[in-house]
Amino acid sequence: MDDLLAEFIAETREMLEASSGEIVAWEADPTDRARIDTIFRFVHTVKGNCGFFDFPRLADLSHAAEDALADCRAGRRDPDPQMVSAVLAIIDRIALMIDAIEAGQEFPEGGDELLIDALSDTHETLAEAGSSAGKQGSSPHLDEPGIARPDMADDFTADRIVPGRRADPAAAQRTIRLPVELLDRVMSGVSDMVLARNDLAHRLRQAGNQPTIDGPFERLTTILTDVRDAITRMRMQRIETLLSVLPRLIRDLSAELGKQVMVDLDGGDVELDREMIETIRDPLTHIIRNAIDHGIETPAARRASGKREIGLLTIAARQSGNTIAIVISDDGRGLDEERIAAKATATGLITAAERSAMSRDKILNLIFEPGFSTAEVVSNVSGRGVGLDVVRQNLERVGGSIKVASAPGHGTLFTMQIPLTLSIIAGLTVEAGGQRFAIPQSYVEEIVQGSSRALDLTHMGEAALVTFRGNRVPCLMLAEVLGLEPGTAALRDPTLVMLRLASGDLFALAVDGIHNHGDLVVKPLAPAVMRCGLYAGSTLLDDGQPVLLLDIANIAAAHELVSETRIRVLQPADDTAAQVTPDAPRAMLFTDFAGRRSAVRLELVQRIETAPVSAIDLSGPRPRAVIDGMILPLVGLPETPLATHRVRLLRLTDGGGEVLLAVREVEDAVMLDAALHPVPEDPLAEAVTLIDGAPVTLIDAHALFARFGALPVAASRPKCTIPTDDWARTILAPLVSAAGYEIVHSDDPDPDPTTIAIIFDEVYEVAEALGRAPSGPVIRLRDHPDAPKGCATIYRYDRDGLLAALNAASRPSAPAPATAGERA
Amino acid sequence: MTNNLLVIAQIAGRRCALSALDVKSVIELGAVTPIPRTPDHIAGITALRSQALTVIDCRLALGLGDGRSGHDWPTDHRAAVVSDSGHSYALMVDAIEDITTAVGEPGQVPGGFGAEWSRVANGMIETMIGPALLIDLPALLAGPDTVRHESEAAL
Repeated sequence: MDDLLAEFIAETREMLEASSGEIVAWEADPTDRARIDTIFRFVHTVKGNCGFFDFPRLADLSHAAEDALADCRAGRRDPDPQMVSAVLAIIDRIALMIDAIEAGQEFPEGGDELLIDALSDTHETLAEAGSSAGKQGSSPHLDEPGIARPDMADDFTADRIVPGRRADPAAAQRTIRLPVELLDRVMSGVSDMVLARNDLAHRLRQAGNQPTIDGPFERLTTILTDVRDAITRMRMQRIETLLSVLPRLIRDLSAELGKQVMVDLDGGDVELDREMIETIRDPLTHIIRNAIDHGIETPAARRASGKREIGLLTIAARQSGNTIAIVISDDGRGLDEERIAAKATATGLITAAERSAMSRDKILNLIFEPGFSTAEVVSNVSGRGVGLDVVRQNLERVGGSIKVASAPGHGTLFTMQIPLTLSIIAGLTVEAGGQRFAIPQSYVEEIVQGSSRALDLTHMGEAALVTFRGNRVPCLMLAEVLGLEPGTAALRDPTLVMLRLASGDLFALAVDGIHNHGDLVVKPLAPAVMRCGLYAGSTLLDDGQPVLLLDIANIAAAHELVSETRIRVLQPADDTAAQVTPDAPRAMLFTDFAGRRSAVRLELVQRIETAPVSAIDLSGPRPRAVIDGMILPLVGLPETPLATHRVRLLRLTDGGGEVLLAVREVEDAVMLDAALHPVPEDPLAEAVTLIDGAPVTLIDAHALFARFGALPVAASRPKCTIPTDDWARTILAPLVSAAGYEIVHSDDPDPDPTTIAIIFDEVYEVAEALGRAPSGPVIRLRDHPDAPKGCATIYRYDRDGLLAALNAASRPSAPAPATAGERA
Repeated sequence: MTNNLLVIAQIAGRRCALSALDVKSVIELGAVTPIPRTPDHIAGITALRSQALTVIDCRLALGLGDGRSGHDWPTDHRAAVVSDSGHSYALMVDAIEDITTAVGEPGQVPGGFGAEWSRVANGMIETMIGPALLIDLPALLAGPDTVRHESEAAL
């Protein structure tokens, strides 16, 4: 949150600085439309940003100024000098508040209402507040706490606030801003250094081993790697930093608007330029506001139209070389083509003749035209004719684009495309037709290797299909897409890269082989190469070979693999949609030791453990097992002794208690989409259901935890002290703790009598002579391998002897799990 | 005087001149990675330090030599690195001959240079080592097909 706040402050300051010229120009000519627009956008953005933070006064002030300016823009009011002054006073007040926020001070109460009143065109306020504001607002000194309430000017002079800016250096993290171009230069310099290093490495290898050179060269390599990482990080930021604030924003907005919205974020690990993150922050926020305000209906309306009361907002980011696509989709009411057309005709954007010639798509995209807004009620949240035009303007300034698609009654989908001139992405290098290509990792869902038979590769006419998790998925042969000779291996045993597009569509790309994956620095390609639509950029592999980065989105679009509706939340009945909507409960399918196929609800499964049989303790009244040093109740074991050395355990939790469920085989996570039939005769079964046509018993978690659930108990591992020298710490300690002993400090004032002491023989002899020998079992170590027969010491590198001695020493006490179990 | 400096190269057996301001360097052409499904004159990409260069086969960019063969003329292993609107290219030519200065302004020849050459030539220029054809870089990089499309569009 501190980061966000610092950014908010920096951004607002920057905008204040940038718009100060505009403000002065506006003052000179209040009727200047262009200036009004600029200042309007400033207060609008401040108001919008306040949505993130709890700054009600800032929000009220900017909202008031926005209102007045909106009236001017709409021609409902003429900007007169009084109003200009009042707006300027508010902007100055915003600047002071920002200073106070940064210094961590409380801004003095009061004064806001008068500033806001000064904006209204009723005469009684204008008469007093307006005139004084008119005088002071134009003064370059920002001392307007005194404007509205001259009587209190002494109480909060600027003195108390301005020095605070410098007085508290710890309040804000020290940052500097650098031109991106400079970073670019440094970065390409470092890239060149890496390649020069690689070249040098190659030559050194040819020249053979040269110890005097190899050492410094290794150091150079390490330093270079560090520097490259740092430089990369300088520019890159995970888009997560942008997405992570959204759930809160969405929650607050939906609460304010009386709507229920669930948010699904995807692709947070996509990295992009900090600069780009800044650029898309506002557009993204605007679109989300719009979606919640206008798109998603009230719960009652949703119920009436047969939808779930909770609306779903999906935000997915995908990076493809030089572009990042952010898709924001909601399952709301969709855009109303007729209303948009009518509005556009009314505001003179298009003529009736033009309208009849326009496609639905074109009409929908009119919402990005300046001055367009269909909201009937202007709310605090969105809709005043800025918003979408600003969004498009901001994106186009950096060479991006935005478009909208919508299905009436089903939802709306915004796609933002943002270019990246230079970026580092995780990529997968694949081979096809004897050549290498790179695929952005963010698209890769899974890599499947197998014979055509197993993948059920079938050709339907020209199209190929594979079966992936029971779904038929279209499949493209990469070599075919590129017009290369396919390798023979590709036809018989293709390697399939399963790719998921930002729209949610899945398809398979068959390649000859996978090489590796790693970070790729993506460079732009010449326009003539880009024009063929297959590549998003190029990158250099470690060996300096250039490799082309495939433009997955474009390839898929060219092969018509992007579904028409392009809204994955649209088809709730569809299998793929069911995976993203958490509607159908999921369960872990397994076979138990009786050979029965059973399932347990997936939410309960914390982990799948594989434990050695020795971890299972059958001595107590109920079976228990030790996992990660915790003793947990165990169910599902067969009557007969286990034939295997290891056993698979499902670790179930109800949030507090845990139960281990022993299974013969874990199968898969499945959807519980078939009907559940209760089975009252089996107390541990919740129901029987059908999965893939076969009956499966669903474990009754309630009964299971009621009977067996227990809070995990730390298994008391036998304690052991070791000598305090380096050898013991680095060589002996790992061996001892791996054998299951807890190493404790030997100078424990209250030694446990069962603590085993490992001690060097000579130390032991001294201690014994002094009558301070350890009270518990002792293992004495000697330095030499050879010793007289019957000697009680163990050579310190005699691993087996040491373990046997430890085992023997801990034997006298009862087996640890059982003791702990009784204690529990 | 510097803008009169010319890099002289042999392209398809003819002596051509490139403005030295356009030519950033002359490199030994290493391995070229072909780019499938691009016009023929784009031979591929190659690495120059950390930069990726688009390799243009000038003979094919002129529309000379029929597609695949491209070996109608001997190829020098050196290529001229040029840059156009922010992108860098390596020009595959028959040979890089010399760097020299121009004497006089580019001029036209009655009857023209022939369809292929006229498209990419700014005219004939006299140099210290004899006359050469002054190449219009953007036109050369655009390749034969693009130019044809554009002229069709213009009609």
